[in-house]
Amino acid sequence: MWARLVLLAMLPLVLAGCPFDVSFLKTEPAVFVAQPDCGKPFILGRAETIGMGTGFTTRLRQGTRWQCIGQVHAGLVYRTADQVVTVEASNIHEAQAVVNQGRLVGFYLPVERAWAPVNPPVELMTEAPK
Amino acid sequence: MNPTLRLAPVLGLLLLLAACATGRPYAEAAADIPPLTPAQGRIYLYRTVVLGAAVQPPVRINDEVVGAAVPGGFFFVDRAPGEYRVSTATEVTRTLSLVLAPGQVRYVRLNIGMGFFVGHVWPELVEEAEGVREIATTRSAVK
Repeated sequence: MWARLVLLAMLPLVLAGCPFDVSFLKTEPAVFVAQPDCGKPFILGRAETIGMGTGFTTRLRQGTRWQCIGQVHAGLVYRTADQVVTVEASNIHEAQAVVNQGRLVGFYLPVERAWAPVNPPVELMTEAPK
Repeated sequence: MNPTLRLAPVLGLLLLLAACATGRPYAEAAADIPPLTPAQGRIYLYRTVVLGAAVQPPVRINDEVVGAAVPGGFFFVDRAPGEYRVSTATEVTRTLSLVLAPGQVRYVRLNIGMGFFVGHVWPELVEEAEGVREIATTRSAVK
């Protein structure tokens, strides 16, 4: 009985500091090439809620303005100053949108230098800035 | 009822309050916060939730301890522009990665959730408007 209690009491010590990877975000290394004004800026005409298969979603707000800042192999990388964009699993990562032919194909994670694909890609309804 | 038992909720409340930030209210402390230099960025870290008050893990930025997740408390750090990982560890480590630009101010809320043995504190990047509004309800957590 006591042995079990001791083991149970020791579990937090064993777990302390462990990475919390219950929910994984599938990512792949990506080489980002900075290239200001690489693609046409756009305004998101319709809000999108993007699921990454992690149990969390990323919401892109209608009316946010997006600027192309570079590219990765999967597409052009867009950033907005109008909202915080993160993708979440066990950890949270600031993210930028990866767009290819008008579709959101994934998120680029600048700190991790990786990209997380969106499956299936999401057709974005965009408007040209006035 | 046993008088000791009657006092238990009061003692519990006192313990809870004792675990909260006791520094100056944000509105008062803000007057002494130095202006941000253009070459640096600033990260405000704060915790509004008192639930799990006894759980106050250290907060690390790129593995350097910069403060603690004190309930109702805030603090800030100024850093060179770059990439940062904000992490807290109780039973497990939770990490937030963010990019800090020159002159940029970021707001990181320290949330608390259920854990197996103890609560988990995790850092979340929030919108500036939300951060400004919430931090106004906190007190300085700098000792």
